[in-house]
Amino acid sequence: MQYELRYQVIEAKRQSYQNVIDRFGDQPATRYQEATLDVEPRENFHYRPTWAQDRELYDPRYSALRLTDPYTYADPRGFFYTPYVTNRAGLHDEFGKTLSYLEDRELLGTLPEAWRSVLGSVVIPLRHYESGCQLVSVTGARFAHGTSLAQCCTFAAFDRIGNAQMLSRVGIAVAGGVGDVLTTAKQEWLDGAHLQPLRRLVEEIMVVDDWAEGLLAIDHVDSLLFPAMYSGLDEKALLGGAGAYSLVAQYLTTWFADQRRWLDALVAAWRGDPEHGPSNTEHLDRIAATWRPRAEEAVGALSAVVADRLDGVAA
Amino acid sequence: MTQAKPRAKKLPLKERYALLTRDLDWEPSYVEREKLFPYTSYEGIKIHDWDGWQDPFRLTVDAYYKYQAEKDKRLYAVLDGFAQSQGHLGLADASYLNAIKLFIQGVTPLEYAAHRHFAYLARYLEGPAPRFAALCQSIDELRHCQTQIHTISNYNKYYGGFHSWSKMHDRVWYLSVPKSLFDDAMSAGPFEFLISISFSFEYLLTNLLFVPFMSGASFNGDMPTMSFGFSAQSDESRHMTLGLEAIKFLLEQDEGNVPIIQAWIDKWFWRAYRMSALVAAMMDYMLPKPVMSWKEAFELYFEDQMLGGLFPDLEYYGIRPPRHVEDAIAEKDHLSHQVYKILHNFSFAAAFTTQTPGVEHSAWLSEQYPGTFDELYKPVWDKHARTEAAGGRIFFQGLPQLCQVCQIPMVFTEPDDPTSTSFRTSSFRSETFHTCSDGCKWIFDREPEKFVQAWLPVHQIYQGNCGGPSVPEVLDWYGIQEGDNGEYKGSPDQRSWAEWHSGAPKQGS
Amino acid sequence: MTSTLRQVGIDIQDAEENRPLVDAIRADNPELTIRHLPGLLKLQAAGRIVINRETVEAQLGREWDTGEFQLAIVSYAGNFSEWDDDQIIVSWEH
Repeated sequence: MQYELRYQVIEAKRQSYQNVIDRFGDQPATRYQEATLDVEPRENFHYRPTWAQDRELYDPRYSALRLTDPYTYADPRGFFYTPYVTNRAGLHDEFGKTLSYLEDRELLGTLPEAWRSVLGSVVIPLRHYESGCQLVSVTGARFAHGTSLAQCCTFAAFDRIGNAQMLSRVGIAVAGGVGDVLTTAKQEWLDGAHLQPLRRLVEEIMVVDDWAEGLLAIDHVDSLLFPAMYSGLDEKALLGGAGAYSLVAQYLTTWFADQRRWLDALVAAWRGDPEHGPSNTEHLDRIAATWRPRAEEAVGALSAVVADRLDGVAA
Repeated sequence: MTQAKPRAKKLPLKERYALLTRDLDWEPSYVEREKLFPYTSYEGIKIHDWDGWQDPFRLTVDAYYKYQAEKDKRLYAVLDGFAQSQGHLGLADASYLNAIKLFIQGVTPLEYAAHRHFAYLARYLEGPAPRFAALCQSIDELRHCQTQIHTISNYNKYYGGFHSWSKMHDRVWYLSVPKSLFDDAMSAGPFEFLISISFSFEYLLTNLLFVPFMSGASFNGDMPTMSFGFSAQSDESRHMTLGLEAIKFLLEQDEGNVPIIQAWIDKWFWRAYRMSALVAAMMDYMLPKPVMSWKEAFELYFEDQMLGGLFPDLEYYGIRPPRHVEDAIAEKDHLSHQVYKILHNFSFAAAFTTQTPGVEHSAWLSEQYPGTFDELYKPVWDKHARTEAAGGRIFFQGLPQLCQVCQIPMVFTEPDDPTSTSFRTSSFRSETFHTCSDGCKWIFDREPEKFVQAWLPVHQIYQGNCGGPSVPEVLDWYGIQEGDNGEYKGSPDQRSWAEWHSGAPKQGS
Repeated sequence: MTSTLRQVGIDIQDAEENRPLVDAIRADNPELTIRHLPGLLKLQAAGRIVINRETVEAQLGREWDTGEFQLAIVSYAGNFSEWDDDQIIVSWEH
């Protein structure tokens, strides 16, 4: 039975904060808008950074890529802190359950030898790649201009550690609950010939000055690496008696699809910016020309090893 | 007989955590270490072994997400419930919200600043363990900033002073006090930031800065803020731990670090203490139902817990209590009164309202400050009360001189003579600069090239950078709207409050 | 290193789900004092406070990770001198 609740009507004086009203009119605002728009300080900074004397504490000049108004960019996922952690809690909860299932049945420890080899010497070492990506992403978390952008970089940085920890936990499971596989994976990362192009690449990206260039360079790698190592190996894994691999790799594939959403939208915003569009486009093209070939080389070296180890098995 | 399932060996927590965090790191060989971490030597701090960093809170990413999502679910449920039930009507009084206006204008932007600059530490500290701790803190601070914005969003709909908090933090005179403090920390090197914020702010003075606001909320019917406070506090435990670990780690790494750290403790105790003067004024004068006096809070949270608890611990490393702490102790009977007088005199230019304490409130102040209130401060309030009874209201017609360092108007008195204004001068590049105390002067003289850069609100008004030469033009530039400022009695907030509570209960009357 | 007898403290949210935790701490720390404030329980003891996973599990009636302590804690005075799978210890170090 429905009933109508009567309540004391108090007229609101305004529906949201003034900066939101100035942009969209006096109407109810989303939590994303209130938490994001115009939060970053704009002016009247008191002291120059001692670590960057030719810049202000917040400064568009930390990157060659500019937006006339950073708040014309909005994260298509609508992530501020709460929906972000809620979303990722779900992702990691499912990952944890899947991993427990596989551990209880020793399905990772009993993968076919070729797959164990691929995991141990190619995939698990990528936990260090993810760690490097975190260093690159967190630079944007500090230096991006505008809360709308910096926030996405913050979440991306935390995500990379999340990815690194997922890979690490898989490594522990493959070894039956101890750190042995992680130890050899680290050695591969440091010495294995097939991984050096990637390690060299990520180290060089880590020292790039422009936070956006670093982020995009990593994205060129991700765009080749994730399909090659995760979603691209799905069918082979399922047909090759290594379904366990497909079950854990799916979470990285899910993450990568999520990452695309905000980053692709940002690149579109840079390209289409009313004032800076042409200049941004030049920089974006330059960045692609610089880093994509390196990414192809690095990922290619890994794919070659994977193909070599697995092709004897696909029968 | 069924075959027992072999159980996977469980790694001890500490080892598992290390594999999931610090073991991810590696020594770069294709780029120089100095290029990767260019900022860790210029402050003179020496680290010999980053592996010595301890992490008591061993939070992996999946655990972080799980606990934080749960906390936010609970918090937002409270916020939604409060909004739906028009909970703001249950506040002790609309005047209470002046404390929360000060909070969102003054504190919320600092959460954001901490969020951005802990990301800097998450990039540029050389050890993976403190980097990860800094990353967690960075994202925690974003949580605090955004949950505060959302908590206070409901009040913004019905009351003045909340609507332009971010713009005001950049422009308005009293807000340059907190803004300049964090700008000072952010413009410093990574180790100074770690000591200034993680240690001095998040450990040494955290209770003094936050408990008054959160307890004030609890005592005055502000359930959303109180809930936010509890929810944020479990994050704060991790932050306190980072601060304590930071200071002990740096002190243990090299003896040469000790004098550098001591100087930072000396500077940042005083810098943050001066900023807390705004909190002192708030807790003694802005709460319809006061929690405790500033004096009592200072004695409990600083003198007892810190001077009596923490500093004996740090003595082991050769650290002594902060320079000028005796001046802070000497001021505790005066601080809140002197600062609120300024806010009261100048609230025509502030985004909150003030009022002369009434009879009951004065009696409470008298009881809390037996040595000073009746003799020194009540006579001034009595004068205001007489003027107001006759229909007037005293506002100061002019602009105050600000301290070059803390940027508070020069209202403080000598530690040993409350009738004499404390006034210090320093000379730098043939110019004279003014500070409010030995503490601020010492800070200035250590780094004059830094502090002369300050964007002093009063200087800027005189230089014509604040919208125009008249008060209305400056207020407009500040973003202050009708009803935000001035005297509480008769203000739109008070009139609304009276109107919303005008229906007397029918039963029992 | 001599242990000192300065008071250490832990502030815990006064919520129903924390009752077993507080009972467990009380059981393992006979000298513990507990003060009730609105929404808050202030636990104090001289020198150290120990939290044992097993005791908490006995009170709770289910498995408990020491990591869950993060949800209950509000503030503390002292150091976390130990926090592993089985035990959490708060004490002053010097």
